Amino acid sequence: MAGIATTLTSWNAGVTRLTMPPRATFTRLSRGSTIGRPGDTAQQRRILEATLALLAQDAPIDPVLLEEE
Amino acid sequence: MDVLENREQWLAEFQQGWLAHYEQTGETLWKIYNRPRNSTAPAGKRIDLRQSRLVLITSAGSYLAATQQPYDAANTMGDYTIRTYPTTTPLNDLAYAHDHYDHTTVNQDAQVLVPLRHLEDLTAAGMIGELAPNAISFMGYQPVVPRVLDETIPAVVDAVKAEQAHAALLVPA
Repeated sequence: MAGIATTLTSWNAGVTRLTMPPRATFTRLSRGSTIGRPGDTAQQRRILEATLALLAQDAPIDPVLLEEE
Repeated sequence: MDVLENREQWLAEFQQGWLAHYEQTGETLWKIYNRPRNSTAPAGKRIDLRQSRLVLITSAGSYLAATQQPYDAANTMGDYTIRTYPTTTPLNDLAYAHDHYDHTTVNQDAQVLVPLRHLEDLTAAGMIGELAPNAISFMGYQPVVPRVLDETIPAVVDAVKAEQAHAALLVPA
């Protein structure tokens, strides 16, 4: 999306990495729980904030692996 | 820069591989599906999120249960349409039409795929300048990549422009 800064988070690093996104965080969460475990507000906020923080960098950047599972 | 660098090669491999097998047998054989891949990531300028409008894009297959058509989740060839709904939508008003992930967690806590309340909180805290009025949704089971390129992505881009967003958060299911 030209002109729009994008960032994403994915539990599926292998497939997502193939598409070469400009900014991304990767976790070890399960499919269907991309932002975090259900009810775990603290984890969800950590993942969101880490993913949004990438917008402060010029792209492309290397994907960031988050220790979240 | 093309969204997919090798579109024609991808299409030929898809037609000769996964699609041919499906048409001959009716089986969706994922071990022969050619995943789209690029060699170069797109460049883009940083933004100050505190001064920007952010739009949420989710591929969870979410839609407004009372007023919008569900996605064609049972279609083996996918659904390439999009929906938008207000970011103020109560999460209990959403339903999910997507047959390719387990809905247990999203039914427990919608924020695992549609984190609207978190984004509102981050906006209130000043980390996000502004949240776009509407979120953008599609159903991420889309095996025919040229249809993603020709149908879904242009619709999403038009929706992002309509939201006058400076930045997008993508949440794949």
